[in-house]
Amino acid sequence: MGVATATFVESFKARDWRHFDLQLLLYVLLLIGFGVAMGYSAGYNDASAGGGMTQTVKTMMWAAIGLILFFVVASVDYHWLRTLAAPIYLVVLGLLVLTMLIGTNLFGAQMSVTVAGIDFQFSEVSKVLMITVLAAYLAGRRDRVGRLSTILVAGALMAVPTLLVFRQPDLGTALVFVGILAGMLFMSGASLGWMGLLAAGVIGALPVAVSMLQDYQRQRLFCFLDPFADPQGACFQLVQALDAVGSGGWLGRGLTVGGEGQRGYIPVQSTDFIFTVVAEDLGFAGGVVLLALFGLLLWRILLVGWQARDAFGMMIAVGLASMLLIQVMVNVGMVIGIMPVTGIPLPFVTYGGSSLISLLFGMGILQSIRMRAHKPTL
Amino acid sequence: MADLNDGRIDLHRARSRFIAFSITAAVLLLALAGRLFQLQVVNGEVYAGRVAAVRTVEVPVPAPRGLIFDRAGRPVAVSVPSWTVQVRPADLPDPARRRVLSRLAELVGVEPSLLESRLDAFSGSPFDLVPVARGVERQAALLIGEEAGDLPGIVVEVEPIRQYLDETGAPGGQLLSHVLGYMGPVSREELEGLQADGYLRDDVIGKSGVEASFEDELRGTYGSQLVERDAAGRLLEVVETIREPEAGTNLMLTIDADMQRLATQALTWGMDVADVSQGVTVVMNPQTGEILAMVSLPAYDSNQFAAGITADEFGVYLTDPNKPLRNHAISDIYPPGSTYKLVTGIAAMEEGVTTAGRQWPTYGCYQIPGAAEGECLYDWNRAGFGPLAMVDAFAKSSDTFFYQMAVATGIDPLAAWARHLGFGETSGIRLPSEEPGIIASTEWARQQGRSGVFTGEVAQAGIGQNVIAVTPLQVLNAYAAVANGGDLMRPMIVRGETDTTGELIREYEPEVIHAIPADPGTLETMRIGAREVITSGHAYNISELDLPGALSGKTGTAEFGELNPGGTLPFHSWFVAYLPSAAGATDAELAIVTFNYSAVVPGNVSAEVVKYFLQLYYDLDQDLRLDPNDFSLVTAN
Repeated sequence: MGVATATFVESFKARDWRHFDLQLLLYVLLLIGFGVAMGYSAGYNDASAGGGMTQTVKTMMWAAIGLILFFVVASVDYHWLRTLAAPIYLVVLGLLVLTMLIGTNLFGAQMSVTVAGIDFQFSEVSKVLMITVLAAYLAGRRDRVGRLSTILVAGALMAVPTLLVFRQPDLGTALVFVGILAGMLFMSGASLGWMGLLAAGVIGALPVAVSMLQDYQRQRLFCFLDPFADPQGACFQLVQALDAVGSGGWLGRGLTVGGEGQRGYIPVQSTDFIFTVVAEDLGFAGGVVLLALFGLLLWRILLVGWQARDAFGMMIAVGLASMLLIQVMVNVGMVIGIMPVTGIPLPFVTYGGSSLISLLFGMGILQSIRMRAHKPTL
Repeated sequence: MADLNDGRIDLHRARSRFIAFSITAAVLLLALAGRLFQLQVVNGEVYAGRVAAVRTVEVPVPAPRGLIFDRAGRPVAVSVPSWTVQVRPADLPDPARRRVLSRLAELVGVEPSLLESRLDAFSGSPFDLVPVARGVERQAALLIGEEAGDLPGIVVEVEPIRQYLDETGAPGGQLLSHVLGYMGPVSREELEGLQADGYLRDDVIGKSGVEASFEDELRGTYGSQLVERDAAGRLLEVVETIREPEAGTNLMLTIDADMQRLATQALTWGMDVADVSQGVTVVMNPQTGEILAMVSLPAYDSNQFAAGITADEFGVYLTDPNKPLRNHAISDIYPPGSTYKLVTGIAAMEEGVTTAGRQWPTYGCYQIPGAAEGECLYDWNRAGFGPLAMVDAFAKSSDTFFYQMAVATGIDPLAAWARHLGFGETSGIRLPSEEPGIIASTEWARQQGRSGVFTGEVAQAGIGQNVIAVTPLQVLNAYAAVANGGDLMRPMIVRGETDTTGELIREYEPEVIHAIPADPGTLETMRIGAREVITSGHAYNISELDLPGALSGKTGTAEFGELNPGGTLPFHSWFVAYLPSAAGATDAELAIVTFNYSAVVPGNVSAEVVKYFLQLYYDLDQDLRLDPNDFSLVTAN
């Protein structure tokens, strides 16, 4: 096809970069900066984490790699992803099966694969890749989008990786997959009636999924209903998190200061519970600023989707928006006791190379969509 | 650019859904902010107050467990510090896991795979501490502490563990294993009943022996402290001591560790030469009921349990057919054989069946009354002894004499006298898992769905066979009661309480269970008979020992199980003896029983063991030990 070659060459044309969304990049950089500061504060009082420095340096290194990837991906025409949708899907399944087979054990779950001393959590990049796969499928079903078969096939495409991560068991990522599916189906224009019916089915199946969990996971999951039922046991983490968040007040206790107090009791505070650090150190003001940043970022992403040249681009944008929204909701929600406790990273803020690089990869695709939106085709 | 047309957006529908999506996102983010406002601004001060309070926690302070000494004041169970390495999986980052565990294994001196497997085997919350190595050397513990910065998620705790010592003061958990028992982690079932008494989830508790039966005394009372902890849960400072722990009571055993060693040495020798797999020797002071030595072989090593026994090691003990974890002296019951003729003799005289002087004919085979002609029970001496009275019949151990006594006395009076002598009931020694034994009676037969005990069984009960099963301790205690003039004593295993140096500060009183309701003359007749056993040569050359008294006793051979290919039954061998100053006197201060399970030798190996023990204990120059495999010894019963 001559088209693909032409697009590839066009990718590097300078005029694309005039449409580069600076705001989108700005919010992303601010969020990463937020994460670096919070990670530093979280590690500050923990000697075993190297006084916070090691982690901070690592985060900056991952961010640098991620940003290079971001610009490279932005410069490439995102339609390549549509051409390659089928192989990408196979790669996703391969990565997740690989994780299951040779993954290292973390907290009793096989979630990552160690290569050359570096841990890769393939479930992170799988989320972004699955968005492109679903976008390719849904974009191709524009004229039959109202049919039940569209929803069923999209659901089946998503079900395989969802079950694979659920088996790890990585409850959080499974939840994000389901959220992405729901968001993208909704935005694709799928029949609301059928979607509602299927949603009811999924909710009905929840007790089965819950029964497949290990005891401690189940206990943690339901802590949010009554965290003080078992404050020293399964809900220890949540109770400590609530105390830490609550003690932040209006303006917080100051960076690195909070760590001397309550928050020190919270395990994995630099990862899944990073929001406690924000809330305790920077208080309500800091929390709201962070939420506002996510709001602004979501606005820019939805704008990219709205202005996208084609359905494929739009679907990718709303997929990424869905992913970010559900991760923010579940992660922040669990820390403040309105969501069950599951392991979901707070996008850009949670410490972790796999998550950060995958997100910047996704943001690169967004820029690519954005930069090609104003071509005279629509 | 034809491919782009099919991807054209349906603007109308997309607009409404974009609006809906945006509103949903905004509402959700605002909900988060609202909840945050409620937590931080509205209730902020409540949480801030909680935070200050939560940093101090009340923690229990374990009380030092009571020490245990032998009757000479030698420490035999002490507490020593031990280091336990624990891992909190949530604090052990996965990338560092392999490095941390292999460094840890190097410091502790085990294979990394062992630590891995213990960590993987744990299925609880990742925030729990998982013990991966117990009984770690002090040096290793210090090194782990120094490298704490490079070993995230690793916590070393010092906890006292039990160490069991032998008579020399060296670590040795075999010598007194069945007396002292061992400690183990409290089980979930045990904890349910004990939580109110202050037991903790990771507590240890006495599982066997004196450790278990004197758990309440030894444990003491845990105290509690308010402590301030840092973020990692490390203790910063003790804010306030709410209650001081009260140390457990220190105990002195009635056991003499030296004598225990000699009894073990003698029994081990006997079991070795006779190829016996299970044996018991118990030594007692008949005047007080104090147990001076209690050996049950094979033994186990109490110290193995102290450091945390592995499933493999425990499995070896559990599957051993000789049941090393059981104290055969009190927890297993065996037919007493001829030693039981003491009961039959006393019962017959007290029930008026016979007098000390009345002679009875004896036979090569005793015709069972009421049974078909020729259905008879053999004497061990197929020639018979001619007419015998009680003392000679006891000394020669005539089976047919005692068949007649038993049948004439009747099974229920016989059973009643057995109980008077302490059979059929637990002695009440303060050790766990004591068995009462089986004494045939009409009621016993009815419980088995029979109308009564057959006459043949009554006769056999008279010589301690078939329908009688007792513990070695019961045999010893019955002879001790006769030896002291008729008081059945409660066997004692703990003599009293001591200070931490082993000085006795409170002595437990000996306790008489009851006086045997027999005429003193009856008991004297039996004592004279027991002396005759020795002097008549029935127990071989043991009478030649230069002992400081008139050794008296009784042999026993108890058949059990199934016929050998040669047509004979396997048998246990018994010997029970005591040492008064003169024949018939009631001042004996030493009584001993030895039991050998399935001794397939012609002689009485138990008599040889007792002989060897007496030679060792009285430090005699003589060595009169015989080889129990010698067929010239076959006459003994």
